[in-house]
Amino acid sequence: MIRYLIHTAWAHFRQGPILYLLTVFGVALGVASVMGIQIINRSAVGAFRGSIQAISSNADLSVLGKSGPLPETVLPTVLADPGVESAWPVYRLDAQVSADPPFYLEVYGLDLSAPQLRPWSAESAPGQEDAYDLSDALSKPGWIAVSKRLAERMGWEKGSTFQVSQGTRQAELEVGAMVDFERFSPQSSSKLAVMDIAQAQGLLGRRGRVHQVDVRVFTQGRRGAEGGEPREEAGKEVAQRLEDALGPAVEVLSGKEREDQARDLLGAFRLNLTALSLISLFVGLFLIYSSTQASLVRRRQEFGLLRSLGATRRQLLTVILAEAAWLGVLGVALGLPVGYWVASSNLEVVSSTVTNIYLLSEIESLQFPPWLLALAASIGLGGAVLGAWLPALDMSRQDPKDLLVAYTLHERIAHSALGMAALAVLILAGAGGWYVWLGRGWQPSGFVLGVALLAALPLLSPMLVRLSCGRLPLRGFGWGYSLRALGLDLQKTASAVAALSVAVSMLVGITLMIGSFRKTVEVWMEATIQADIYITTPSWRGRRSEASISPDLVESLRSHPTVKAVDRLRSRQTVSGSNRISIAGVDLHLSGKEERFKLLAGDPKEALQAARQGAALISEPLARRSGLGLGDQLEVTVPTGQVELPIAAVYYDYGSERGAALVDWSTYADLFGPGPPSNLALYLRPGLEAEQVVEQLQEEFAATPLFFRSNRNLRQAALQIFDQTFAVVRLLQGMSLLIAACAITLTLLILARERISELALYRALGAARRQILGIYLGKGLGMAVLGLALGWLGGLALAALLIFVINRAYFGWTVQVYWPWSTLAQETAGILLAAVLAAIYPALRASRTPATELNRDEM
Amino acid sequence: MGKRDGGGRLGAEDGTPVVAFEDVSKIYSSGEGWRTVLKGVWLEVMPGRTVSVVGRSGSGKTTLLNLAAGIDTATRGRVSVDGQDLAGLSDRARTLLRRNTIGMVFQFFHLLSHLSVQENVVLPELIAGGDPQQFKQRAENLLQRVGLDDRSRDNIQKLSGGEMQRVAICRALLRSPRLILADEPTGNLDDDTSQSVMQLMLQLVEEEGSSLIYVTHSRTLADLADESYTIHSGILDAGSPRQDAKGAKL
Repeated sequence: MIRYLIHTAWAHFRQGPILYLLTVFGVALGVASVMGIQIINRSAVGAFRGSIQAISSNADLSVLGKSGPLPETVLPTVLADPGVESAWPVYRLDAQVSADPPFYLEVYGLDLSAPQLRPWSAESAPGQEDAYDLSDALSKPGWIAVSKRLAERMGWEKGSTFQVSQGTRQAELEVGAMVDFERFSPQSSSKLAVMDIAQAQGLLGRRGRVHQVDVRVFTQGRRGAEGGEPREEAGKEVAQRLEDALGPAVEVLSGKEREDQARDLLGAFRLNLTALSLISLFVGLFLIYSSTQASLVRRRQEFGLLRSLGATRRQLLTVILAEAAWLGVLGVALGLPVGYWVASSNLEVVSSTVTNIYLLSEIESLQFPPWLLALAASIGLGGAVLGAWLPALDMSRQDPKDLLVAYTLHERIAHSALGMAALAVLILAGAGGWYVWLGRGWQPSGFVLGVALLAALPLLSPMLVRLSCGRLPLRGFGWGYSLRALGLDLQKTASAVAALSVAVSMLVGITLMIGSFRKTVEVWMEATIQADIYITTPSWRGRRSEASISPDLVESLRSHPTVKAVDRLRSRQTVSGSNRISIAGVDLHLSGKEERFKLLAGDPKEALQAARQGAALISEPLARRSGLGLGDQLEVTVPTGQVELPIAAVYYDYGSERGAALVDWSTYADLFGPGPPSNLALYLRPGLEAEQVVEQLQEEFAATPLFFRSNRNLRQAALQIFDQTFAVVRLLQGMSLLIAACAITLTLLILARERISELALYRALGAARRQILGIYLGKGLGMAVLGLALGWLGGLALAALLIFVINRAYFGWTVQVYWPWSTLAQETAGILLAAVLAAIYPALRASRTPATELNRDEM
Repeated sequence: MGKRDGGGRLGAEDGTPVVAFEDVSKIYSSGEGWRTVLKGVWLEVMPGRTVSVVGRSGSGKTTLLNLAAGIDTATRGRVSVDGQDLAGLSDRARTLLRRNTIGMVFQFFHLLSHLSVQENVVLPELIAGGDPQQFKQRAENLLQRVGLDDRSRDNIQKLSGGEMQRVAICRALLRSPRLILADEPTGNLDDDTSQSVMQLMLQLVEEEGSSLIYVTHSRTLADLADESYTIHSGILDAGSPRQDAKGAKL
């Protein structure tokens, strides 16, 4: 039978190329959306992994501070452990390079006098091609080794100098070597740079502090011990001992554990993108289903003949599914490059999100490991076979005599519409009941509800089409007639309506969620961003806590004639229980502070009073994640260990899904030691325009690396980051709608082909081509209206799920519901227009049906 | 009662014929060359006359009707309806001519299963853009005349073959066309039903004053028309005018 398939494949393709191409297209778009997101997800973690491999690949463990840099004194303690073969400190900073455009350099301060610690150090042997010399690293001020790629891009040579800043500190660095880091760590960033640790601390950082201590353990067990043990096991033992020795402010992690941490940090972001890409795949299944069904209907008599000649049901099923699988292979071949394009065209915006929000490494290149190819193949082939399964099963189950007579699928689905609707209600009720009684506490329960919703919508579509179209009174040969005709081909129209409804529900649900979220953030910013001017340093984006503003500058700004008051902010990442949170210290003694925090729990005045005396305010995500509330104690890891702070209030916060805590400036200094701020907020004297003062300050402080933003500009910038975060989502929405529009085109093409006698009758009875054109455009519009109606219902439910269940479970934010009417209206109009456009080609084809076709067959 | 004027002969001498074929040939191209379906056909049908064309399958009967309906165009010669040369008309004009002047009856009825009996009958009026409500009375009247007034709300699939063809005849007559074209109207019915349906159609056509061309395999049924022609390999033989019941030459 497979030989028969191969022999007849080309002839079948020539008879109906569009059906085959649409199947391939459905598979390709599904594969592309999933692949695009997987490549992005993989690359986001891969970028972080690249840096770890380039710097710490020879290390088994890294000793890290839970609440920021560690004192150098931890090194002797680490080296004293009997399982430690060697250990070396690492200083890490993000320096902004003054270039056009400016960019961030991931600078690692290392002990370069111990070159065996890194694989790329071996290349420094003189006489070798591409050799470089690390010997000047200590002696030459500002010596830095940059990647070859960056040097080529910037036109740097050995000896080239450039300016960098970290906080308000500036330094001139000199290219001392150009290292091919990528050769040893293919995923490493081109912006990776290495300098001597003492120089990094002295020029741009803090002396006496390190960010991590990399550790290599003995492979043969402990020092002097007999026998060996697996490296990983030995590492675990050493890690445990080191954590015990260094106290609760320190964590000791393997490279894989650090990577898992990064993956966990991006978990919700990645999960949501994956879920959305799977919806696109789901919509693609409808296209495959419709096109396979149409193709099979067309070849019904051929199958009848094959069965009459002795082909078994299994053989028929095999032939049909093999053909679908072959189309799946073509879809995968097309979908892979499209997916890669999706990923590469979104690289920049996702990279911005990863660096701005999650503070991880910038994504420079895309990762495409072989297993992704296997995933693409299984998605494409699986999708094609799954989409074709029902029509194939239906066809193979029929008797030869039934296959040789007129098609009656419409009758069957018309009868099963009620049953399908009942099943949909059952699914929804079951999922709802499960959530209320059992699933509420389970984090992914929102996704289970989403799957139930998206499974129920298609099942409701036959009933909707039947109820809406079946009983319309006949008032003319116009749109009403078109709608009524939709009910006749329930099998096809319901499938197109289902595909569209899923795409529309995704569009409406996400638009409503994003619109509400955006407006909530806007309202929140209105309340919280009350100072006139905000100041930070260009390098603040990376290692926020260390990009500090020098105390002299703070004083000169405080005494500036335009300034009434200055608010300072210091922040850092730390650990609270099992949560990695950000903690900030601000001047809570300034007047008007109580209005600045929108509280979810607690009285503003009392909360501030308590915070001034050492209490903490915690963000809503932290409260939800940790289960803490007003009056509870917040456990915070500080360099000296762990402290507990009373919680005075829970405030709305949309800056970090991981959770944040806020304390008074003085409390922060008590916890983490005194230090300069990383951000300033200026309150201007009455009557001054913030924009004008920004210009004035920019001129006055032109030589200092400072960012001045007016209140308005800061809000705009925040919203820009917000919009960037959702850029990929928009692309996925577009892909789903494209698939759904294809489903409309396909359905109408099938109808034009299968209803050719009916069209010929209209022509014979005097219907003009324009009327037939109108009828088909009307059908397209009708399917769009029905898809929109069902999709809107689904979208509202999906929005509720996203806002009240998924968002709270994964991000912990309270999102107020706002209706982005204008966007929703534009999208609805766009869908209607797209449906009409999708209907034009089939409508034209239908309108060209000659009346002579009437004689061909029975209606 | 329709007016019967003119003799049953090829080429009427008075009045404008409803449909006229003047030396019409139709040649189709196929993969194997050219195939002549109609050869030099001359035919005139005067208002109110009924004409039958008898022939075997593939003899060109349906092509003749398609040319009269403006569905197809002649390769050579002239086909005119109500004095208008169809070759000179655009597709849209031919469509409008068909809509306003011609009613059609088909062998396989071609009724739409998703419409009721009455809705099928008013379909031409829907297409013409008229108000179907206004034509309900006319449809009911026609259905009453064919004995189906009690079935007007029924689904078309509940009807027998004979009943379906009666509905199709009502549909063809709804807009009082000047010409009815019937392609094997009884080809799908048993003998008894064929006879009664044909007589009913002729009666209605006469009452409505329309002209009728029908093609059939059956010589018996063909003889019911005012004039009957034989078509063989695309050549239309001279007709044989029929005597009416009063013995007058029609």
